[in-house]
Amino acid sequence: MASRKKKITYEYSSDGVKRSILRNARSAKVAPGWAKQIADRVAKEVDEWIADKEIVTEADLRKKIIKELETLSPDIAFAYKNHDKII
Amino acid sequence: MSDITSIATIILAAITQASLQLGLGGLILLYHNSMGKHRRKTTRYLAKNYILGSCAITFLMVCTFCFLIGNFFGGSLSAEWLVVSIGIFAASGSVMWFLYYRKGKKTTELWLPKAFTNFIRKKARNTNDNVEAFSLGLLSSFAEIPFSLAIYFVVANCILNMHGWLQIVAALSYTILTVVPLLALKLKMKTGKSAIEAQKWRVKNKAFSKAFSGSSFMLLAIFVLAFWVM
Repeated sequence: MASRKKKITYEYSSDGVKRSILRNARSAKVAPGWAKQIADRVAKEVDEWIADKEIVTEADLRKKIIKELETLSPDIAFAYKNHDKII
Repeated sequence: MSDITSIATIILAAITQASLQLGLGGLILLYHNSMGKHRRKTTRYLAKNYILGSCAITFLMVCTFCFLIGNFFGGSLSAEWLVVSIGIFAASGSVMWFLYYRKGKKTTELWLPKAFTNFIRKKARNTNDNVEAFSLGLLSSFAEIPFSLAIYFVVANCILNMHGWLQIVAALSYTILTVVPLLALKLKMKTGKSAIEAQKWRVKNKAFSKAFSGSSFMLLAIFVLAFWVM
Protein backbone atom coordinates (compact mmCIF):
# COMPACT_ATOMS: atom_id res chain seq x y z
CA MET A 1 0.00 0.00 0.00
CA ALA A 2 1.36 3.40 -0.92
CA SER A 3 2.20 5.61 2.04
CA ARG A 4 0.36 8.92 2.35
CA LYS A 5 1.58 12.11 3.92
CA LYS A 6 -0.48 13.06 6.95
CA LYS A 7 -2.32 16.32 6.36
CA ILE A 8 -1.93 18.82 9.16
CA THR A 9 -4.24 21.78 9.58
CA TYR A 10 -3.54 24.75 11.80
CA GLU A 11 -5.00 28.15 12.42
CA TYR A 12 -3.70 31.07 10.39
CA SER A 13 -1.72 33.57 12.42
CA SER A 14 -0.98 37.09 11.24
CA ASP A 15 1.84 37.32 13.79
CA GLY A 16 3.32 34.12 12.38
CA VAL A 17 3.48 35.72 8.91
CA LYS A 18 5.12 38.83 10.37
CA ARG A 19 7.67 36.78 12.32
CA SER A 20 8.55 34.72 9.28
CA ILE A 21 9.01 37.84 7.11
CA LEU A 22 11.15 39.52 9.77
CA ARG A 23 13.33 36.40 10.03
CA ASN A 24 13.93 36.40 6.28
CA ALA A 25 14.45 40.18 6.31
CA ARG A 26 17.22 39.86 8.91
CA SER A 27 18.91 37.24 6.75
CA ALA A 28 18.63 39.56 3.72
CA LYS A 29 20.10 42.39 5.86
CA VAL A 30 17.12 44.67 5.30
CA ALA A 31 17.03 47.67 7.66
CA PRO A 32 14.94 46.76 10.77
CA GLY A 33 12.51 49.71 10.44
CA TRP A 34 11.79 49.01 6.78
CA ALA A 35 11.51 45.26 7.50
CA LYS A 36 8.85 45.95 10.13
CA GLN A 37 6.89 48.12 7.72
CA ILE A 38 7.07 45.43 5.05
CA ALA A 39 5.97 42.74 7.50
CA ASP A 40 2.99 44.87 8.65
CA ARG A 41 1.90 45.70 5.09
CA VAL A 42 2.17 42.11 3.86
CA ALA A 43 0.40 40.71 6.93
CA LYS A 44 -2.43 43.24 6.38
CA GLU A 45 -2.81 42.23 2.72
CA VAL A 46 -2.78 38.54 3.61
CA ASP A 47 -5.32 39.09 6.41
CA GLU A 48 -7.71 40.72 3.90
CA TRP A 49 -7.11 37.99 1.33
CA ILE A 50 -7.69 35.16 3.79
CA ALA A 51 -10.72 36.71 5.55
CA ASP A 52 -13.35 35.20 3.23
CA LYS A 53 -11.69 31.79 2.97
CA GLU A 54 -12.48 28.85 5.18
CA ILE A 55 -9.36 26.85 4.39
CA VAL A 56 -6.21 27.51 2.33
CA THR A 57 -3.17 25.40 1.59
CA GLU A 58 0.24 26.41 2.85
CA ALA A 59 1.44 26.63 -0.76
CA ASP A 60 -1.28 29.17 -1.61
CA LEU A 61 -0.45 31.18 1.49
CA ARG A 62 3.23 31.22 0.57
CA LYS A 63 2.39 32.24 -3.00
CA LYS A 64 0.32 35.17 -1.75
CA ILE A 65 3.08 36.29 0.65
CA ILE A 66 5.72 36.05 -2.09
CA LYS A 67 3.51 38.01 -4.50
CA GLU A 68 3.18 40.83 -1.97
CA LEU A 69 6.87 40.74 -1.09
CA GLU A 70 8.03 40.89 -4.68
CA THR A 71 6.88 44.49 -5.04
CA LEU A 72 8.12 45.59 -1.61
CA SER A 73 11.45 43.76 -1.31
CA PRO A 74 12.68 41.36 -4.00
CA ASP A 75 15.46 40.15 -1.66
CA ILE A 76 13.05 38.97 1.03
CA ALA A 77 10.83 37.46 -1.66
CA PHE A 78 13.83 35.56 -3.02
CA ALA A 79 14.70 34.31 0.47
CA TYR A 80 11.10 33.27 1.08
CA LYS A 81 10.85 31.49 -2.25
CA ASN A 82 14.23 29.78 -2.34
CA HIS A 83 15.17 28.95 1.24
CA ASP A 84 14.63 25.24 0.55
CA LYS A 85 16.48 25.27 -2.78
CA ILE A 86 19.99 26.09 -1.55
CA ILE A 87 21.30 22.52 -1.43
CA MET B 1 58.36 11.57 -8.34
CA SER B 2 59.63 15.07 -7.50
CA ASP B 3 58.21 17.20 -4.70
CA ILE B 4 57.19 19.82 -7.29
CA THR B 5 54.94 17.31 -9.10
CA SER B 6 53.43 16.26 -5.78
CA ILE B 7 52.78 19.88 -4.76
CA ALA B 8 51.18 20.65 -8.15
CA THR B 9 48.94 17.58 -7.85
CA ILE B 10 47.93 18.53 -4.31
CA ILE B 11 47.07 22.10 -5.38
CA LEU B 12 45.00 20.89 -8.34
CA ALA B 13 43.25 18.30 -6.14
CA ALA B 14 42.50 20.97 -3.52
CA ILE B 15 41.00 23.28 -6.17
CA THR B 16 38.88 20.39 -7.43
CA GLN B 17 37.61 19.56 -3.96
CA ALA B 18 37.03 23.24 -3.16
CA SER B 19 34.79 23.50 -6.22
CA LEU B 20 32.30 21.01 -4.71
CA GLN B 21 29.15 22.83 -3.68
CA LEU B 22 27.68 21.00 -0.70
CA GLY B 23 29.95 22.61 1.91
CA LEU B 24 29.31 26.09 0.54
CA GLY B 25 25.57 25.48 0.29
CA GLY B 26 25.52 24.23 3.88
CA LEU B 27 27.30 27.37 5.09
CA ILE B 28 24.89 29.68 3.21
CA LEU B 29 22.00 27.75 4.72
CA LEU B 30 23.53 28.13 8.17
CA TYR B 31 24.02 31.87 7.63
CA HIS B 32 20.47 32.26 6.33
CA ASN B 33 18.89 30.48 9.28
CA SER B 34 21.19 31.85 11.94
CA MET B 35 20.98 35.49 10.87
CA GLY B 36 17.21 35.25 11.06
CA LYS B 37 17.22 34.31 14.72
CA HIS B 38 20.60 35.09 16.31
CA ARG B 39 22.78 38.10 16.92
CA ARG B 40 25.54 38.71 14.37
CA LYS B 41 28.23 37.66 16.82
CA THR B 42 26.58 34.28 17.39
CA THR B 43 26.26 33.75 13.63
CA ARG B 44 29.95 34.59 13.21
CA TYR B 45 30.92 31.96 15.80
CA LEU B 46 28.63 29.37 14.23
CA ALA B 47 30.17 29.99 10.79
CA LYS B 48 33.67 29.77 12.26
CA ASN B 49 32.88 26.44 13.86
CA TYR B 50 31.27 25.15 10.67
CA ILE B 51 34.50 25.93 8.79
CA LEU B 52 36.59 24.34 11.56
CA GLY B 53 34.45 21.21 11.30
CA SER B 54 35.02 21.12 7.57
CA CYS B 55 38.78 21.54 8.10
CA ALA B 56 38.85 18.83 10.75
CA ILE B 57 37.16 16.18 8.61
CA THR B 58 39.32 17.02 5.58
CA PHE B 59 42.54 16.80 7.58
CA LEU B 60 41.42 13.57 9.26
CA MET B 61 40.44 12.02 5.94
CA VAL B 62 43.83 12.89 4.42
CA CYS B 63 45.60 11.38 7.44
CA THR B 64 43.39 8.27 7.29
CA PHE B 65 44.16 7.71 3.62
CA CYS B 66 47.89 8.26 4.28
CA PHE B 67 47.64 5.58 6.96
CA LEU B 68 45.74 3.21 4.64
CA ILE B 69 48.19 3.65 1.77
CA GLY B 70 51.15 3.37 4.14
CA ASN B 71 49.92 0.14 5.68
CA PHE B 72 47.89 -1.63 3.01
CA PHE B 73 49.34 -0.41 -0.29
CA GLY B 74 53.03 -0.58 0.59
CA GLY B 75 53.52 3.19 0.99
CA SER B 76 52.61 4.14 -2.56
CA LEU B 77 49.70 3.48 -4.93
CA SER B 78 50.43 1.18 -7.85
CA ALA B 79 49.72 2.29 -11.43
CA GLU B 80 46.55 0.15 -11.44
CA TRP B 81 45.07 2.00 -8.45
CA LEU B 82 46.00 5.33 -9.97
CA VAL B 83 44.22 4.32 -13.19
CA VAL B 84 41.14 3.43 -11.11
CA SER B 85 41.34 6.90 -9.53
CA ILE B 86 41.63 8.48 -12.99
CA GLY B 87 38.50 6.60 -14.05
CA ILE B 88 36.64 7.91 -11.01
CA PHE B 89 37.83 11.48 -11.76
CA ALA B 90 36.60 11.21 -15.34
CA ALA B 91 33.24 9.83 -14.17
CA SER B 92 32.94 12.55 -11.50
CA GLY B 93 33.77 15.21 -14.10
CA SER B 94 30.99 13.93 -16.37
CA VAL B 95 28.54 13.82 -13.45
CA MET B 96 29.49 17.42 -12.60
CA TRP B 97 28.85 18.59 -16.12
CA PHE B 98 25.53 16.86 -16.61
CA LEU B 99 23.94 15.77 -13.33
CA TYR B 100 25.33 17.68 -10.36
CA TYR B 101 22.48 20.18 -10.04
CA ARG B 102 18.79 19.40 -10.15
CA LYS B 103 16.96 20.96 -13.07
CA GLY B 104 15.32 24.31 -12.41
CA LYS B 105 16.32 27.87 -13.19
CA LYS B 106 16.49 29.52 -9.79
CA THR B 107 17.79 26.64 -7.74
CA THR B 108 21.15 25.27 -6.71
CA GLU B 109 19.71 22.02 -5.40
CA LEU B 110 22.21 19.22 -5.77
CA TRP B 111 21.52 15.76 -7.11
CA LEU B 112 21.58 14.16 -3.67
CA PRO B 113 18.97 11.93 -2.01
CA LYS B 114 16.09 14.13 -0.82
CA ALA B 115 16.11 12.56 2.64
CA PHE B 116 19.72 13.53 3.04
CA THR B 117 19.35 17.17 1.93
CA ASN B 118 16.29 17.48 4.15
CA PHE B 119 18.38 16.21 7.06
CA ILE B 120 21.09 18.85 6.43
CA ARG B 121 18.44 21.58 6.00
CA LYS B 122 16.77 20.58 9.25
CA LYS B 123 20.09 20.45 11.06
CA ALA B 124 21.11 23.88 9.70
CA ARG B 125 17.76 25.30 10.83
CA ASN B 126 18.21 23.92 14.34
CA THR B 127 21.87 24.77 14.78
CA ASN B 128 22.11 27.00 17.81
CA ASP B 129 25.50 26.31 19.34
CA ASN B 130 29.09 25.92 18.27
CA VAL B 131 29.25 22.13 18.67
CA GLU B 132 26.24 21.68 16.40
CA ALA B 133 27.80 24.03 13.82
CA PHE B 134 31.06 22.07 14.03
CA SER B 135 29.24 18.79 13.44
CA LEU B 136 27.26 20.31 10.56
CA GLY B 137 30.58 21.30 8.95
CA LEU B 138 31.87 17.74 9.47
CA LEU B 139 28.73 16.25 8.02
CA SER B 140 28.55 18.51 4.94
CA SER B 141 32.15 17.83 4.01
CA PHE B 142 31.82 14.13 4.73
CA ALA B 143 28.74 13.96 2.50
CA GLU B 144 30.92 14.94 -0.46
CA ILE B 145 32.77 11.65 -0.08
CA PRO B 146 31.43 10.03 -3.31
CA PHE B 147 33.31 12.76 -5.21
CA SER B 148 36.23 13.31 -2.86
CA LEU B 149 37.16 9.68 -2.13
CA ALA B 150 39.45 9.30 -5.16
CA ILE B 151 40.87 12.78 -4.53
CA TYR B 152 41.89 11.77 -0.98
CA PHE B 153 43.56 8.65 -2.37
CA VAL B 154 45.65 10.62 -4.85
CA VAL B 155 46.47 13.40 -2.36
CA ALA B 156 47.55 10.89 0.30
CA ASN B 157 49.73 9.17 -2.28
CA CYS B 158 51.37 12.52 -3.16
CA ILE B 159 51.91 13.38 0.50
CA LEU B 160 53.58 10.02 1.17
CA ASN B 161 55.89 10.66 -1.79
CA MET B 162 57.16 13.87 -0.19
CA HIS B 163 60.06 14.24 2.20
CA GLY B 164 59.88 14.56 6.00
CA TRP B 165 58.34 17.76 7.33
CA LEU B 166 56.89 18.62 3.90
CA GLN B 167 54.28 15.90 4.47
CA ILE B 168 52.59 17.68 7.37
CA VAL B 169 52.86 21.06 5.60
CA ALA B 170 51.25 19.54 2.50
CA ALA B 171 48.39 17.98 4.50
CA LEU B 172 47.70 21.27 6.28
CA SER B 173 47.97 23.34 3.08
CA TYR B 174 45.58 20.97 1.32
CA THR B 175 43.09 21.32 4.18
CA ILE B 176 43.25 25.12 4.10
CA LEU B 177 42.97 25.30 0.31
CA THR B 178 39.81 23.18 0.31
CA VAL B 179 38.02 25.64 2.62
CA VAL B 180 39.02 28.79 0.70
CA PRO B 181 35.47 29.21 -0.75
CA LEU B 182 34.04 28.98 2.78
CA LEU B 183 36.55 31.54 4.06
CA ALA B 184 35.76 33.81 1.09
CA LEU B 185 32.05 33.60 1.92
CA LYS B 186 32.76 34.37 5.58
CA LEU B 187 34.81 37.39 4.53
CA LYS B 188 32.02 38.60 2.21
CA MET B 189 29.52 38.29 5.08
CA LYS B 190 31.84 40.26 7.31
CA THR B 191 31.98 43.08 4.75
CA GLY B 192 28.20 43.47 4.79
CA LYS B 193 26.90 41.07 2.15
CA SER B 194 23.90 38.90 2.98
CA ALA B 195 23.32 35.17 2.60
CA ILE B 196 20.65 36.01 0.01
CA GLU B 197 23.15 37.92 -2.13
CA ALA B 198 25.58 35.00 -1.91
CA GLN B 199 22.83 32.59 -2.95
CA LYS B 200 21.82 34.87 -5.83
CA TRP B 201 25.45 34.86 -6.99
CA ARG B 202 25.47 31.05 -6.86
CA VAL B 203 22.28 30.83 -8.90
CA LYS B 204 23.58 33.32 -11.47
CA ASN B 205 26.90 31.49 -11.84
CA LYS B 206 25.56 27.95 -11.63
CA ALA B 207 26.67 27.06 -15.16
CA PHE B 208 30.15 28.42 -14.48
CA SER B 209 30.59 26.49 -11.23
CA LYS B 210 29.33 23.33 -12.93
CA ALA B 211 31.78 23.75 -15.80
CA PHE B 212 34.60 24.66 -13.40
CA SER B 213 34.05 21.58 -11.21
CA GLY B 214 33.73 19.21 -14.16
CA SER B 215 36.79 20.65 -15.89
CA SER B 216 38.84 20.48 -12.66
CA PHE B 217 38.08 16.78 -12.33
CA MET B 218 39.00 16.16 -15.96
CA LEU B 219 42.20 18.20 -15.63
CA LEU B 220 43.14 16.27 -12.49
CA ALA B 221 42.56 13.00 -14.35
CA ILE B 222 44.82 14.11 -17.19
CA PHE B 223 47.46 15.44 -14.78
CA VAL B 224 47.62 12.21 -12.77
CA LEU B 225 47.73 10.18 -15.97
CA ALA B 226 50.54 12.28 -17.42
CA PHE B 227 52.73 12.68 -14.34
CA TRP B 228 52.01 9.64 -12.18
CA VAL B 229 51.09 6.81 -14.53
CA MET B 230 52.95 7.37 -17.81
